[in-house]
Amino acid sequence: MATVLIENLTKVYPPTLNNPTQVQALGGLSMSITGNVFVAVVGPSGSGKTTLLNIVAGVERATAGSVRALQEGVPARVGYVFQEPRLLPWRTVVDNMLYVQDRKSDRSRREAEFYLQMVGLSDVADLYPSQLSGGMQQRVGIARAFLVNPDVLLLDEPFSHLDALTGRSLRDYMQRIWLQTRKTALFVTHDVTEAVELADRIVMLRPGGTAYDDIAVDLPRPRRHDDPAVRDMQDEVLRRFDAMGAAVRFGAHA
Amino acid sequence: MSDMRAREDLAGLRSLGARSGPKAPPTMRGFLQRPWFIGLLALGLLLLVWQWISWVNLQVPGVGEIARFMFTEISGGSHGGALSGEFWAPLAVSLQRYAVGLAIGVPVGAVLGMVIGGVRWARGLFNDTVLVLLALPAVVWAFLASLWFGLSSWGPILAVVLTVVPFMAVNISAGVRNVDPGLAEMSRSFGVPFGRRLHHLLFGGSLPSAFTGLRLSFMTGWNSLLIVEWFGSTSGVGWRARFWYDALRYPGFVGWIFLFVILITLLDRLLLSPLERRAFQWNQRPTLAFAEEA
Ligand SMILES: Nc1ncnc2c1ncn2[C@@H]1O[C@H](COP(=O)(O)OP(=O)(O)OP(=O)(O)O)[C@@H](O)[C@H]1O
Ligand SMILES: [Mg+2]
Repeated sequence: MATVLIENLTKVYPPTLNNPTQVQALGGLSMSITGNVFVAVVGPSGSGKTTLLNIVAGVERATAGSVRALQEGVPARVGYVFQEPRLLPWRTVVDNMLYVQDRKSDRSRREAEFYLQMVGLSDVADLYPSQLSGGMQQRVGIARAFLVNPDVLLLDEPFSHLDALTGRSLRDYMQRIWLQTRKTALFVTHDVTEAVELADRIVMLRPGGTAYDDIAVDLPRPRRHDDPAVRDMQDEVLRRFDAMGAAVRFGAHA
Repeated sequence: MSDMRAREDLAGLRSLGARSGPKAPPTMRGFLQRPWFIGLLALGLLLLVWQWISWVNLQVPGVGEIARFMFTEISGGSHGGALSGEFWAPLAVSLQRYAVGLAIGVPVGAVLGMVIGGVRWARGLFNDTVLVLLALPAVVWAFLASLWFGLSSWGPILAVVLTVVPFMAVNISAGVRNVDPGLAEMSRSFGVPFGRRLHHLLFGGSLPSAFTGLRLSFMTGWNSLLIVEWFGSTSGVGWRARFWYDALRYPGFVGWIFLFVILITLLDRLLLSPLERRAFQWNQRPTLAFAEEA
């Protein structure tokens, strides 16, 4: 069972050439995730969501505080789905998969094909990313994250660059795969409706990178976007999101 | 067929020129725009202008005169007196020097470029050296090499190496530095081991600029070889061109210069271009899209 313990996490970016003041992306965020749950982190643009995932993935270092992602006491293996597909353009789809795979054997190609099939892409293994649509590339990114058999799955607005229809069908894929595998997932989005559709729990970040709210979503799965119960929950979370917006704006004036 | 294309489009599959349908029949305009046709046209124009200059200035040999001279030279016939044609021997010597020079210079330059591009402190250490090498004209190598090595083959070879190394290094280091940092981040988050990153990320990512470097290396390496042979050698094609120049036999001199150009062009077309096309499959664009819709 995987756990992610985030304690007092702070990230301050030093001043850069085009931004002479330092930027606080995260301001002492604490949360803990235990077990095979799907956690959505929502927040407005610039509230430190990507920064949070990068620190959990070990790509970036925290300024203060700590993040521990553990699987049975040892460092957890993470699978990361980025905001953009981030595929090597000069390698075929299947070679992109094998690139992150930690074994090289006959089995690994079959495994890669298995996960491609899971996202509905069994025919494109030998094509190059430029031959796929944006939605298909993003699906390859999802398959790649599952291929490494991660203990913790990190997802950074994986559907935000896609049109509404493609986004919806990918969310359905996502839900189906997650139900089959039940990985501990940390899913970042600024779209409250998609958070409700996918998550067991929604953590709301406010600008400056601190938690504003923590909402449990107790709805049966698989969820459908047109289910009235899902709709009601979405309205409820949106209300709280708007309340946070008002509070932030009010706070700024005060 | 069209049904299948429609389905591929629905699935979001972008068809490639190479994969899609039979070629449309060539039109007259398409024919006139073929690269080899334009190349021939340019060559014809060049010869025409040359011929015109030779009429105006009697010192300049005409096209026919050059062709006759080179025919004698290649077939080993007599140029009059004790002078007979010599072609294959100087060509073989030069090609050998060229090949050895490239075989040393290209890998050395490539590794240097990877290091300069990937390792920050190495950039400060080597960057200026490479720029100095890049700025020095080949004539300097000609004189230095003949000082160091006398008239042996090592002078011309060294000149090729020293010309090729900076061209490879500069281009490859730029390629490595331009690799999308997002892809590097992706690799790190998945814990991709160093060897695989080197191979697939850095090497794959710098391949386009490596080809640019290779092309420039092939051209400039050949040029330096000729210059060094001209000034400091008693064999090779550069020496042969100078031989006719010193003997005041300008058709021979000009004919050899033409041969240099033809050789390097052929090398580029027959060797580098096909390699480049193969290496860039992933970047193909559907070139026949318009023709197919009609
Ligand atoms: N490498 C960096 N250098 C300097 N500042 C940065 C860097 N990365 C992010 N920031 C700043 O940190 C803040 C948080 O950025 P982050 O990308 O985590 O936000 P986000 O919540 O993911 O936003 P979005 O929803 O737009 O993706 C922003 O103000 C951003 O400008
Ligand atoms: Mg972001």
